[in-house]
Amino acid sequence: MTRLDATRLLHRWLTSEAVVASLGHPAYDLYAAGDRAASFYAWGSMGVASSIGLGLAMAQPYRRVVVLDGDGSLLMNLGTLATIGVVAPANLVIVVWDNGEYGTTGGQPTATARGADLARAAAALGIPRTATVDTPDALDRTLAQAFAEAGPWVVVAKVRESGPGPKPPLDCVFIKQRFMEAVGVAERSTRGDDVQ
Amino acid sequence: MIPAIPLWAREIADGLVEAGVRDVVYVPDNPLSHLLGALKTDHKDMRTTIATREEEALGIAAGLYLGGARPAVLFQSSGLGNAANALASLLVAYQIPALLVISMRGEEGEWNSAQVPMARAVRPLLAALGIQAFTLDTAAGAATMVRRAAALAFGTRTPTSCLLPRRLTSPDPPKGGAR
Repeated sequence: MTRLDATRLLHRWLTSEAVVASLGHPAYDLYAAGDRAASFYAWGSMGVASSIGLGLAMAQPYRRVVVLDGDGSLLMNLGTLATIGVVAPANLVIVVWDNGEYGTTGGQPTATARGADLARAAAALGIPRTATVDTPDALDRTLAQAFAEAGPWVVVAKVRESGPGPKPPLDCVFIKQRFMEAVGVAERSTRGDDVQ
Repeated sequence: MIPAIPLWAREIADGLVEAGVRDVVYVPDNPLSHLLGALKTDHKDMRTTIATREEEALGIAAGLYLGGARPAVLFQSSGLGNAANALASLLVAYQIPALLVISMRGEEGEWNSAQVPMARAVRPLLAALGIQAFTLDTAAGAATMVRRAAALAFGTRTPTSCLLPRRLTSPDPPKGGAR
């Protein structure tokens, strides 16, 4: 399956979930599958999408938080899996689109193309629920489980590169404000009367 | 024996709580251990989360803010180098506030030459990112300064920093030259 196909499949599962997408193609595909206010599109900070998801899951323990990370970007910040293992937020689902390459930057190979196994790494770092899937059916079945059973989850989905999709909104502050409103914590006016 | 919690650490802990901070994400550092001790002793409802790296800590803090919390991030000056791109392309770009509490090494009293270059880069790096830096020189008034810095951060939606020099956190260095 291509990453765009997989993203569209995942998108059908989304209701009130907060979603964080890593910069580049994961974010483009999430937008292509269907723009939604509760989707946070990263435009920078490669590597920290799963960390953003952890913070969100801590702040809103009753909302499911889904992260769309990439193999290359997660490899930049593997330590965060250890932190997620320690904090163990039950409402966090990390999906790693693993295409074995840095797709956004020209297809340079990542270590997963040579056998590095991110699901096993996640399990070794203390993530209780992990899976590797490589077909749409398996992804669908695993998401059904991950959206019903306590996590944290790391789901590694083996995908083929599908090329860049249309770009999500470029205005970072717009993305943030729309997202926060959608998850029930709209930023107040800038008059400053909410601060001490 | 557990050492007594120094006044500066109690002041900063009080300031964080008074500013509405209930989440502290940190990468450990020796002086910061006193601040964490003060939080644990005086403010048991403060949630502290240890991160493996400073840019990770900032990612977690950004997520906390996006979910409605007011996060503080604690790390050593050396860690600002690890944190630079997360600060620039996430917190600054999206106007996501956090209160940064940075414990300084490499300044007065330093004995380790490897700490000095990053220390020299701290203020220029923060300035280049448009992040204001307030140096807490004395324990007296530190709580107020932390509260004011937090008001700036969360009121104007910009990361804001408080720097903790060693003259604050280790006021009694060994005589005859530091070793």
